[in-house]
Amino acid sequence: MRILILGCGPLTSLLLASPDSAEHRFTVISDDIDRLNGVADEPRVTPLLILEPQMQDYLRMGGIDNADAFLALSEDEHQNILTAQIAKHVFNVGKVVCRLENPQLQRLYSGLDLEMVSPTLDLLQGLNRVLRSQIH
Amino acid sequence: MYILVIGCSELGYHLTKALLASGHEVMVVEKSQVRCDILTEELGSVAWQGDGTVESTLKQAGAARADVLIAATGHDETNLVACQLAKHVFQTSRTMAMIKDPKNEPVFHILGVDVVINSTHLILESLEERIPGRTFLRLMNLRSSSTGLVSITIPEDAGVVGRRLDDVELPPRSFISLVVKTNGVERPSGDLILEAEDEVIAVIPSGGEQTLYDILTGV
Repeated sequence: MRILILGCGPLTSLLLASPDSAEHRFTVISDDIDRLNGVADEPRVTPLLILEPQMQDYLRMGGIDNADAFLALSEDEHQNILTAQIAKHVFNVGKVVCRLENPQLQRLYSGLDLEMVSPTLDLLQGLNRVLRSQIH
Repeated sequence: MYILVIGCSELGYHLTKALLASGHEVMVVEKSQVRCDILTEELGSVAWQGDGTVESTLKQAGAARADVLIAATGHDETNLVACQLAKHVFQTSRTMAMIKDPKNEPVFHILGVDVVINSTHLILESLEERIPGRTFLRLMNLRSSSTGLVSITIPEDAGVVGRRLDDVELPPRSFISLVVKTNGVERPSGDLILEAEDEVIAVIPSGGEQTLYDILTGV
């Protein structure tokens, strides 16, 4: 699959390094040159430095027209929400995933049919499981 | 009318003053305590300190009874979230968003924002108006957002000079709504003869502007 990713934080780095990613090709767009340099050596990864992540021209430069999936994984939730909805409704990307940590916004956008991931909530659930197992 | 304004930048500040002067009840939701204090000191209890993209803040600021929400922060993405929260959580009947990226205009409409104000377009239009000898001017975007109203001034050497309007082939789905001549305004009948320096006001679908411009100004 051709996958376009917005944001180049630890989550993106982990995803690119995971064995499951071996069969995919990635373009990673970010306004952080240091973080992009950190993934530039990964095979099958094209880094793209941008100034305004929400601008559709930059999404096009990243190949959103031909992307099979778009992952909005930046640390700015509002940017994730806007670009994910642009990917879904303007570029009709088949698979769109939006990183969203705020439970209120998660409720709103799940109602608007946006697929979401939330590393913080996943972590919280994991911690709760560990704590429960310690108590019992 | 109760109006919620999200963001108290310079625009939000002047907007709030103008709305209050028009007799509306206004509440500004602004993150910065300092800006809220300045606003309160000058205009009274019209500021609510908080994040306008947080549901509980909007609720406290009275979003449930707001007739209009105007998202006027400097960030397109923040304005979108504020409008979508107002629309889908509080059923605000009219949401308005300021945007900077012109390409976001259609997507904001698709996503349910009622009115989208494109600040980049407004500034460009204002600049174009002041350029001497301009022959093309975008007057406004019509509500459908995919259609605009433009003004084109016919130069002396244009091929259409001396021709009947009916004989000029226009781009698909476009039409001339008004012709401003040196001696007054004329309704565009088919027999109207186009002359140099006529200002043609036309309705044109987005993307057809250059074709129309070439037809009316080409030699």
